[in-house]
Amino acid sequence: MGWREELEHSTPVSRRTFLKTTAAAAAVAAVGSARIPSVMAQERVTTLDYYTLFHSGDAAAMERIVRLFNTENRAVKLNLLQGQWAEYYAQLFAAVGSGNAPHVGICHSSRVMDVYRALTPLEESRAGNLLDAAGIRAPQYTKSVWDAGVFEGKRYLVPLDTHMFGMWYNKDLFRRAGLDPDKPPESREDFERAADAIKTRTGQFAFHPAEDALPRKLRRAWEYLFWGGGGSLLTPDGKRAAFNDERGLRALDYLVGMIHRRGWNAPGTDGFKQFAAGQLGMLIAGNWYFPTAKAAGVNFGFHYVPKFFEKPTTWGDSHNLVIPRQRPERASDDVLVAAAKAIKWINERSSIWGIYGGHIPAFLPAQRAKDLQESETWQIALSKFAYMANQGWLHYPLVHPLAPRVHAAVEPHIQEAYNGRLTPKDALTRAEAEVNRVLIG
Amino acid sequence: MKRRYGRTVEIALFILPFAAFWILFRLGPVLYGFFISLYRWDPLGDAKFIGARNYLNLARDPRFWNALVNTLEFAAIAIPLIVGIGLVLALFIFAGRKRRVTTWLEAGFFFPYLLTVSVVGLIWRWLLDPDFGVVLITLRDMGISPPVFLNEPRWAIPAIALATAWWLAGYRMLLFRAALEDIPDEFYEAARIDGASGPRIFFSIVVPLLRPAILFALVLTTISGFIVFGQVLIMTAGGPGRASEVLAMYLYRFGFEYLEMGQAAAVGMVLFLIILGLTMVSFRWLGYESSL
Repeated sequence: MGWREELEHSTPVSRRTFLKTTAAAAAVAAVGSARIPSVMAQERVTTLDYYTLFHSGDAAAMERIVRLFNTENRAVKLNLLQGQWAEYYAQLFAAVGSGNAPHVGICHSSRVMDVYRALTPLEESRAGNLLDAAGIRAPQYTKSVWDAGVFEGKRYLVPLDTHMFGMWYNKDLFRRAGLDPDKPPESREDFERAADAIKTRTGQFAFHPAEDALPRKLRRAWEYLFWGGGGSLLTPDGKRAAFNDERGLRALDYLVGMIHRRGWNAPGTDGFKQFAAGQLGMLIAGNWYFPTAKAAGVNFGFHYVPKFFEKPTTWGDSHNLVIPRQRPERASDDVLVAAAKAIKWINERSSIWGIYGGHIPAFLPAQRAKDLQESETWQIALSKFAYMANQGWLHYPLVHPLAPRVHAAVEPHIQEAYNGRLTPKDALTRAEAEVNRVLIG
Repeated sequence: MKRRYGRTVEIALFILPFAAFWILFRLGPVLYGFFISLYRWDPLGDAKFIGARNYLNLARDPRFWNALVNTLEFAAIAIPLIVGIGLVLALFIFAGRKRRVTTWLEAGFFFPYLLTVSVVGLIWRWLLDPDFGVVLITLRDMGISPPVFLNEPRWAIPAIALATAWWLAGYRMLLFRAALEDIPDEFYEAARIDGASGPRIFFSIVVPLLRPAILFALVLTTISGFIVFGQVLIMTAGGPGRASEVLAMYLYRFGFEYLEMGQAAAVGMVLFLIILGLTMVSFRWLGYESSL
């Protein structure tokens, strides 16, 4: 029977039948709905928005943690939104200003001075001491990172990790250059010898000092050389530039010389890509490079940043978990406590962050967890990153309310020197003038 | 009188929905932007009125002038390139419109316009990569020693302009192609009977009758040229040094990296006035009979 026939043979519904049926359905719905609130109350789920600035391997690792959180927790769910690094803080401020702040967020240790206004003081929130409520205890965290989470006597940050630069090297190129791949260079002399050997004996690029050579990466390269000589970007009162001195010049001259005198690489090249293509001997890059290096199939090793000047130094920072400032109508006291508990949970599972994101967890039990300690990430790279951190080689970026502008004032001049279009002296002089203009306001 | 009043109400009702959205989403933000530009604006609420100081800061900042010059350089290269390539492609397609292959070619020329700016930026960054980019490798294989385009102050802006022309010319081609279809064949026939040459036909018939489309394309491209941002961010991040830092990039950095929203809003207002002025000049130069 076709649909036309079905229609023709079906009994027409009378108005009375229709009304009766509707009334009956409404009654059933009313009776049923009386039970719904209690059922809903039992299964009520608190959803916490969690914004991060992670991308690539980091983002994938954090997604893994959040998926696990959402599987293991029935009453609280995390809604993860991962954004662009460069815009993250502006988005955070805009979200807080408009009353739509995420319940959990990320903040670098170096940014606490300019971001704290958008964050909840964790021990003095309107819901009381959130650290106590969630059971977050200072002795369970790496002390230096924990200590960096306080500004003007108030704690805003709960450490998640430490991340830093280290040296990735291509073992096959080391062999071809007649170098021992199990003995990567540690001193400046050994490093220079190794770089020259790679250049002359393999014909490949010997060294890249700064990841993909973006201006901020080149500034970091100059900084780890500069800090290694004991330099400081600003005067102790933070009111003047202090880098245009013998130490700053020596560091920049060495950086520029690597490219233009030694010929270990060329300006404008991307060290990430060169290394992944097997065309680069040594690369200074962050721990986040581990998944990429692994996926590229390069036979690589990892070692400390060589000691270029007086003291071994590397550039580094820490990610922290934070609760952005909340309006009561968006987040009740219970929600604030739930957010603090979520932070604790994420840290408890942060061995995953180490294994898949390549970061050193700041939560000590996670750092010592068996799965992390036995992982390839730890054995190849993280153990050495942890060593650098424990030896005090890690140097944080400038902590100053105008830090982003100070960095932006330095970066183009460092890049111009690196490209060979400014002498190191001119570059530092121009950078100094611009930084002082920024600081004067 | 009553009928006239009723007619006015009717017209107002037709305009109202558009006007409401235009005021809410266009005029409102512009006025709010101007308001913000007069403050040391804090997204968290502690704004302080500082009058014209943000504008004075701009006038004193060499970086702002550098960004303005870079923007003008980009616009001077990109606008003629985009409109010119669009026009040439349209004439080429129009001339061969009876052949099947031109349909494919037209689709091919238009295709880049469908891509987002991030994809365009990435494609060209890879193409021009010094180690692995097809363009530089090919040039080297041909015995030419090319500059690292995106890392050379002289070449960064032209390279971004070229990428932008590749991206946007296809849409201008469609505009011109549609306008060419509107020119009656009789005009060409009459000109040929009168013995007019190809260039004479182009300048005396095609160009005057394309004027509305040219105006539209020019206004549209001027706006795109002055607010260029995404390609720059992805291809050079404003570098090397600040050789390709354009005004929109300067605005972005102040607003979204340094969180100085008032300063960024002031740049936005300057950009708005530049584009408004240039649009008015275009109207005056080419007349108001556009395809807008």
